[in-house]
Amino acid sequence: MSRSALVTGLGFITSIGNDRAAVTRHLRELKPGLERVEFLHNPSLPTKVAGTVKGFSVDSPSWRDWRYPPDYDLPRETLRGVSAHGLYALCAVEQALADAGLKPADLRDGATGLYCASAGSAFMLHHHLAHMHAVRGERGNPMGVVASIAGTLNFNLAAHYGIRGAVGGFVAACASSSHALGCALDDIRLGRQARMLVVGAEEVNAETILPFAAMRALSTNPDPLTASRPFDRQRDGFVGAGGAVCLILEDADTARRRGAPIYAEFAGWGQAADGFNVAVSHPEGAGLAEAIRRALGDAGVTPADIDYVNAHATSTPAGDRSEALALRAVFSAAGARPPVSSTKGLTGHPLSMSGVMEAAFCSLAIRDGFIPGNANLTAPDEACADLNLPVATRDASPGCVLNNSSGFGGSNVCHVLRAAKV
Amino acid sequence: MPSQPTSPAIPVAAPNHAARTLGQHFPTEVCAAYERFLTTKVPADADLVVLAIMLDHLPDKKLRPAGTPADALGLVNDLGFDSVAITEMVFFLEDLFQVRITNEEILRVKTVGDLRSFVRQKLTASVDNSVPRA
Repeated sequence: MSRSALVTGLGFITSIGNDRAAVTRHLRELKPGLERVEFLHNPSLPTKVAGTVKGFSVDSPSWRDWRYPPDYDLPRETLRGVSAHGLYALCAVEQALADAGLKPADLRDGATGLYCASAGSAFMLHHHLAHMHAVRGERGNPMGVVASIAGTLNFNLAAHYGIRGAVGGFVAACASSSHALGCALDDIRLGRQARMLVVGAEEVNAETILPFAAMRALSTNPDPLTASRPFDRQRDGFVGAGGAVCLILEDADTARRRGAPIYAEFAGWGQAADGFNVAVSHPEGAGLAEAIRRALGDAGVTPADIDYVNAHATSTPAGDRSEALALRAVFSAAGARPPVSSTKGLTGHPLSMSGVMEAAFCSLAIRDGFIPGNANLTAPDEACADLNLPVATRDASPGCVLNNSSGFGGSNVCHVLRAAKV
Repeated sequence: MPSQPTSPAIPVAAPNHAARTLGQHFPTEVCAAYERFLTTKVPADADLVVLAIMLDHLPDKKLRPAGTPADALGLVNDLGFDSVAITEMVFFLEDLFQVRITNEEILRVKTVGDLRSFVRQKLTASVDNSVPRA
């Protein structure tokens, strides 16, 4: 494959900040974005912390009631078809376009595509279906479907920006936006698209997060400062989060020709499933280890070339252990000890959007020269023996970075990003 | 032979979220006109509300006419309505005034004047129904 792809624009609506500067600062300072929440006005629920999105008020199913930062000028005909995470996504895309020096008109020539990932809006779907039942199917909101089902992001963003290239959505739970990013890279490598917008987004509400409590996957630690603690012995589950991230990927020639800002090269990716269990990761991390090997092979690098690993580790007892074993199988076996950290100790776990969010964090780390530490890690799990888990953020310029993601059904997706050649 | 179970009555319309939206997002004089209509049940009193709802649902605010919109203005051709915006507007009117409007009736409404007279006619027909508040 002759073409390479560069990261040229980023946009963030996350629990740790609603712009690149805030996100970078909080990654460097290890300042978490978690807050106390009370879902369903029920103080008895054991889930008491979430990675909230600040500056937005989107509790109502009606867009008329929403409040969001005044910097975004969004038309009614777009807002009427989106749910809360669609609003986050529009804001993230606006940021990424400005960051990349692109105008909406630049997206309409068919050379730009759009891949998105979210689970849809369970909140909005519930609202519209409850209404349908109330009137016994006699009528419904004409935009109810496109605002709520999985795919709502790609429907709305493609229409809003007039995108005429490849458009689609990915549904693989917590690996979804990593699939989106990997397939976007392939489209650029194959010459099918010159530019891809990759967007992940999720909502922070009872409908999206609380069902995971029934799986006993959520932390019951009520302290926002310590609830999310990947790889730590005291971890007791993940902290749900939401928001949106947009990453713009461009064919290197296209990006350089127009003088685009360059964060990093997206050098390769790989995926391999566990084939083991619908909800629990393989106990030895077998699928993830294979996905890492495939990503390294695709990028043409060895374990020794990796300077930083952004782990998927969500702070669940089983998942973090599997990932630790997968990392040891690949890196320790090769005599490599790259720094490994999970930024979910800061952000919480935003489900479908985590893969692209963390690829964006890796891009910031490469361009701005830092390696985020592991927030809340005081005593590493014994499964992490011989892993290099820095607690503090380091000022260092990682030349080559691995980004891991895993989702339900044992989907494992890994990306390799590296400093772009000048 | 056992009797067939009877279905419960179909509700006339959805819960009246529209009245809440009107109270929260529309000007005071429009809310006052709605309250007046609830008291008087005189369809003409709803006219100001209908026009305000129509203007609120304009997809492109740049096409908003200055002053009171003329009856001859076409919803699609002059004011830029698309089918979704018309449907949204009709559903809002249905919820607010607790009337039922069929697709065939919607298709016959082409102009501002058509809309005003159509809603007036609907309200006249349903004047005996009580309009629940939010």
